Amino acid sequence: MSLLRRPPPDGTAPHEYNSKKKRKVAEIYQALNSDPIDVAALRRMAISEGGLLTDEIRCKVWPKLLNVKTDDLPPAPGKELREDNEDYQQVLLDVRRSLRRFPPGMPDEQREGLQEELIDIILQVLQRNPQLHYYQGYHDIVVTFLLVVGERLATALVEKLSTHHLRDFMDPTMDNTKHILNYLMPIIDQVNPELHDFMQSAEVGTIFALSWLITWFGHVLADFRHVVRLYDFFLACHPLMPIYFAAVIVLYREQEVLDCECDMASVHHLLSQIPQDLPYETLISRAGDLFVQFPPSELARKAAQQRVERTAASTFKDFELASAQQRPDAVLRQRFRDRLRVEERTKSFLTKPRTNRFVKLAVMGLTVALGAAALAVVKSALEWAPKFELQIFP
Amino acid sequence: MEAAADLESSLELSYSGAGPGGLPPARSRIFKIIVIGDSNVGKTCLTYRFCAGRFPGRTEATIGVDFRERAVTIDGERIKIQLWDTAGQERFRKSMVQHYYRNVHAVVFVYDMTNIASFHSLPSWIEECKQHLLAGDIPRILVGNKCDLRSAIQVPTDLAQKFADTHSIPLFETSAKNPNDNDHVEAIFMTLAHKLKSHKPLMLSQPPDNDKIHLKPEPKPATTCWC
Repeated sequence: MSLLRRPPPDGTAPHEYNSKKKRKVAEIYQALNSDPIDVAALRRMAISEGGLLTDEIRCKVWPKLLNVKTDDLPPAPGKELREDNEDYQQVLLDVRRSLRRFPPGMPDEQREGLQEELIDIILQVLQRNPQLHYYQGYHDIVVTFLLVVGERLATALVEKLSTHHLRDFMDPTMDNTKHILNYLMPIIDQVNPELHDFMQSAEVGTIFALSWLITWFGHVLADFRHVVRLYDFFLACHPLMPIYFAAVIVLYREQEVLDCECDMASVHHLLSQIPQDLPYETLISRAGDLFVQFPPSELARKAAQQRVERTAASTFKDFELASAQQRPDAVLRQRFRDRLRVEERTKSFLTKPRTNRFVKLAVMGLTVALGAAALAVVKSALEWAPKFELQIFP
Repeated sequence: MEAAADLESSLELSYSGAGPGGLPPARSRIFKIIVIGDSNVGKTCLTYRFCAGRFPGRTEATIGVDFRERAVTIDGERIKIQLWDTAGQERFRKSMVQHYYRNVHAVVFVYDMTNIASFHSLPSWIEECKQHLLAGDIPRILVGNKCDLRSAIQVPTDLAQKFADTHSIPLFETSAKNPNDNDHVEAIFMTLAHKLKSHKPLMLSQPPDNDKIHLKPEPKPATTCWC
């Protein structure tokens, strides 16, 4: 959408811009209509400039990115859903208060209907997955899906998302969430040690980024178009991508931070007020860059000074395995896997991230690598990249 | 202004009003106050009322910790009151909020007068606070919010007062919403600020171990429902 809204950064004429968009729409439909569906291409489209462009396309592509079958949606919830649900009261309180998430000017009646649906989706996912725990902010994510794809499909997508990307946030405690927040400062340190040191001396902590992370920025961005653009990106990527994006925002505001008084309150206050006119497309590609340069495994190793098994090569192995899941037939699947394994060896050799922070990867290399990393969705972010015991919190 | 030595001894000493290219900042002391209590009791509304002077139109669940501040002048001294507004859901306070207990000068416990459960949660909030605040003797106050909703009151004043007396915490009943109570939210925080100002040792981030000055809660806290 921002492709439409914003003047192109390179100063291309509007008609050229529109034709660029048309071309992208065509490419997306081509990927959707190919047999089997070209999920890797869809992933690239979701990441690259403008993301998935329209909600109509999102309805079709988001399920593919999450590997959700649209012809097998969970049944509508029964009346008993709201009884005996320990989270019901909290969900109710949060959803009733979440007026700002709905388009301004929407009639109250319509909004209230959607709020009821929102409650149902949340409760149904929780009911079907007793291992998941509700957190304040989860409703900010769910509402985005509800508004884009409608109640039934949203339930299926959110369920998948909750058992994968959001899994760590939904533990009984927030310890794993805290671990993920612990990635923030090491990423900043890699790119801008001065900024990192300043923030450390201010003892700002990382809670300013908590709502960014656990709502995928849905809680803090006023313009819904920006929210869905980011969701395109995050859905196509590794579950830790939101923390890279958080780091990129902080890095982008370097000067403001350094001009700030070096204390917790001032820096927390500055950073938690997120500017609404961020250059999203630039920041998205920067976040992708950082992910490739400093993958989670690398960061974990750097920060904790501990060896980890995972390397870029194993990322590609994950890519291959996950891609294979989308194949309809086991024999084909095996063949595909074998073929990829050869490709993987070459690729991983060529694109293995180097520690030099000045290394810049070509855009194409980036999207390929991102698509790969993105598919490496195992059970949760933290299983993929081991925890490290960096004590940012006292 | 306080004596320079006093100011220097305070780790909370700060420069306020510094901005890019701004004038040399004026020095002012900072009182850091944390506001805690169950979800939906009105912590955000109370802090917003005090800092912005009005009831916010639409508030949402607070995720993590929000921060508001307001500069006031007490006895000629300019003081910044920082209010740290915290998430109410239990999972947040267990692992997230503790960072914000550090160097806190005062604690405001909030419950919803129309929700008895939020009142029953107070002992666990008080206990948790004790665990985080090793210094012990920092001022604490108890605020019953939403007193304008008279027909829905579930926590009678005498019950709340008894609880407050048991814990030696001054009790206030107020409404962040009712404009007539505007001055009262103001008064609550200003009372707290005065109290903090008159107890200089509290400004030390590290309380002295030896001659610790005990801050006694006011003997008989004058409690009024200002509805």
